[in-house]
Amino acid sequence: MQTKRVLIVEDEASLASVMGKVLSKNNVSVTIAHNGKEALAAMEKEAPDVVLLDILMPVLDGHGVMKAMKEKHPDCPVIVVSNLNDQRTRDKCKKEKNVKAYFVKSDMDDDDLWTATQKFLFPLSSPQPQ
Amino acid sequence: MSKKRRTSAFHGRALRLKALAKGKDKYAATAKKLSRKAKQIVVTARKNEAEVVLKEKESIRRKLVVTAEKLHLKARQLAVLAKGKESVRRKLVVTAKEKESIRRKLVVTAKEKEDVRRKLVVTAKKLKMSHATLGKKVLERTKDLELLRAKDEAILASIGDGLVATDKNKRILLVNKAFERLLGWKGGEAQGKYLSEVIPMVDSNGNAIAESERLLTMAIQKRSTATTTITTMYYKRKDGTYFPVAITVAPIFTGNKLMGAVEVFRDITKEKEIEKAKSEFMTIASHQLRTPLTAIRWALSSLKRENLPEEQRTLVQTAHETSTHMAVTIRRMLMISRLEEGGTDPDIAEVDLPKVLEKIARLHDTHRQRNGLELVIRCPQHLRVRTDEQLLIEILDNFLSNAYKYTPKGGKVSVEAMKEGEKIRIDVADTGYGIPLAEQKRIPEKFFRASNIASPVEAGTGIGLYMVYNIVRLIGGTISFVSEENKGTTFTLLLPSHPL
Repeated sequence: MQTKRVLIVEDEASLASVMGKVLSKNNVSVTIAHNGKEALAAMEKEAPDVVLLDILMPVLDGHGVMKAMKEKHPDCPVIVVSNLNDQRTRDKCKKEKNVKAYFVKSDMDDDDLWTATQKFLFPLSSPQPQ
Repeated sequence: MSKKRRTSAFHGRALRLKALAKGKDKYAATAKKLSRKAKQIVVTARKNEAEVVLKEKESIRRKLVVTAEKLHLKARQLAVLAKGKESVRRKLVVTAKEKESIRRKLVVTAKEKEDVRRKLVVTAKKLKMSHATLGKKVLERTKDLELLRAKDEAILASIGDGLVATDKNKRILLVNKAFERLLGWKGGEAQGKYLSEVIPMVDSNGNAIAESERLLTMAIQKRSTATTTITTMYYKRKDGTYFPVAITVAPIFTGNKLMGAVEVFRDITKEKEIEKAKSEFMTIASHQLRTPLTAIRWALSSLKRENLPEEQRTLVQTAHETSTHMAVTIRRMLMISRLEEGGTDPDIAEVDLPKVLEKIARLHDTHRQRNGLELVIRCPQHLRVRTDEQLLIEILDNFLSNAYKYTPKGGKVSVEAMKEGEKIRIDVADTGYGIPLAEQKRIPEKFFRASNIASPVEAGTGIGLYMVYNIVRLIGGTISFVSEENKGTTFTLLLPSHPL
């Protein structure tokens, strides 16, 4: 089976790194982008199976990324992982076709991150053995 | 009378015969006879005389009787007359008395009048004096008043805030310089017009505020001071531009009678700019704080699952819990900051209550297990409420984490949601330490923590319930609680049913 690819879009390097390590433990290939522009470039290059997307970022924010993905990567599932907890941002994100889930960083733990991700990496089969 | 004369003639003749008898005996016997005859005549005469006397007496008596009768009649008449006269006399006496009394009174009155007159004279003198003094005083007072008026006008003119006084019909009576400056109206133009006609008011979306919603209306209707709340209102200038405004309106009374109101308003553009900057700063700061904290938390959580020696595992566990607590505190501080700013508008939508309760229970399950507590949730499957889901979660999250924090091992926490009339009621009850009665009214205060909570028991900041009360103020509804020390506490949230 081909190794699944996850794109982490997170401007805080330390968090991106922790996220990468958590996911890497589960035998997935991880790419990290630190802003929206980097993310779109990485998508062209890597064609990720899932994108974990932050909202507040420099250069191009999460909303900008989603807007661009609508045309170029309409089928790539996006899991929003943000600090924003207001209903307006949630609603705005959920209106995007790519967005499959919305998580608030302070509400989740590292294992929640993997549980959510694998649901979209292996949508039909049981989780891949670790 | 002739009889009387005859009698006395006989008597004289008898005497002369007696004298003749003394001389001559012949004559003596005749004399004697004549004497006897005389005596008889005398007797007869006397008898006659007596009869005559009697008759005369009778006649006199009769006359007397008549006279007496007449006199009697007269007497009676006199008596009647006397009575009348007596009555008149008495009346006269009474009248005299009355007159006397009146006279005396008149004397008294006269005295009084004299007194009054004297007093009047004194008063007049005094009045004359005080008139002079008053004149002087009025002059002085007028000067004082003019000075005061000038002062008041100077104060009104120099007040930076706009000021407008209206009558009770909301017509403008006077405005100050700041009013003119802030709104572009001249005082003379505004006077006599309705306030709402001079200054239209809109909300942040540009919608006009209804007359009944204006603070001036509320202050006049409720006869109490009204102040702008957290929602920002805007005043329209004469040139059509707007500015954010903070308003305080106080009714004016004379005694108990409402005369009108005074409105003081301030352009809060600067404050709004500062608020916006603060809000932006908070957003940036929160991002800068929270994101690294998430990294720490997740790294520690990941590390926890590694095969670590017991001592290290405990240390990592503590570090993870502390960082989690920190994350919650930061989240709440941000929420409070947003609520205090008033920038947050609730997003009202239908909320699946059983799902929300389940989510919160799951979030805190580690906490529950660690404290050895039992949780019971009772909620009808179909129960829905229209409110802001995230804010409702914040409230219930707070109630539940408090219940877990302040209930000793083996205790029980129950969450019950139900429909109560048109409202939704959610009770969160624990069998914990309770809140001391004397401290209960301080519960909504920021940073307040009950004295019976020993600090090592659980970390706390005293901002959770403060935040909850602020949220409820925003989304509508009420919070209440009953608590007894060492028995437990029940918090009740009553949410209104927002119309669709």
